Amino acid sequence: MNVLLVDDSKAMRAIVKHKLREAGYGHWSISEAHSGDEAYEISRTSPPDLFLCDWNMPGISGFDLLQKLKSDGCTARFGFVTSESGPEARAMAIDAGALFLIVKPFTAEDFQLAFESAGLRQ
Amino acid sequence: MPTNSTVEISPSDVAQIVESVFGTMLSLEVNQGGTPLSPDENHLTSAVYLTGEWNGALLVDCGAEQACRFAGRLLSMDPPGTVDDDVRDALGELANMIGGNLKCLLPHGIQLGLPSVADGGTLHFRIPHAEVMERLTFQCADGSFWITILRIAPKAEA
Repeated sequence: MNVLLVDDSKAMRAIVKHKLREAGYGHWSISEAHSGDEAYEISRTSPPDLFLCDWNMPGISGFDLLQKLKSDGCTARFGFVTSESGPEARAMAIDAGALFLIVKPFTAEDFQLAFESAGLRQ
Repeated sequence: MPTNSTVEISPSDVAQIVESVFGTMLSLEVNQGGTPLSPDENHLTSAVYLTGEWNGALLVDCGAEQACRFAGRLLSMDPPGTVDDDVRDALGELANMIGGNLKCLLPHGIQLGLPSVADGGTLHFRIPHAEVMERLTFQCADGSFWITILRIAPKAEA
């Protein structure tokens, strides 16, 4: 599984990678992008199997990135890892084609549950 | 429609959010109580703004050494010896996580801004037309830190 981790916070990217290892996904290949724009560029040349994306970022937001990818016909799976904790954000995300929304603060188990419910296997 | 002045936030709800963020992300038990906020020259403030039907900000205040320890815990590494971008980034993420969860206590449609961090000697973080709505002091193994919720008057009310 090739994962593209998109977050403007280097700290948060490191935390998510740590939690993924803790959750048993340490063997997945994880690349990083520090903005939605960078993620979009990467997706055009080497699309990942899964985007793990923050919502609020400078430049294009995670939600805008998802919409842009979907309108381009990108078939990669997409999930949010975000502080957006309200039901509206979850509904918007799912309606736009995201598979899950993991709310910060999160545990390793939150990743396991989200991935299992999305049919992603270790 | 709620206005800025009619929205109330329960301190116990805020405390629950803070305990959850620190417990889950830093494996750190925090409890309310400790010394009142008195910023010194080694002080950092991270802030995240909330805008919409209610306008305000969430601030996290702590000492520089404590910010380094928080960063070490958050990033699962030895605490940096001095405040660097990793420390600022980590403190900003703490404000972001607390602010994001605080949204659930506020009217629908509130937008969460990007976190910012102020540090550097005697610099003080001031927001025009803001008043302190709640300020909670917390104690943990790494010392005291403070969470402040500011209510910011919209321009028409200011």
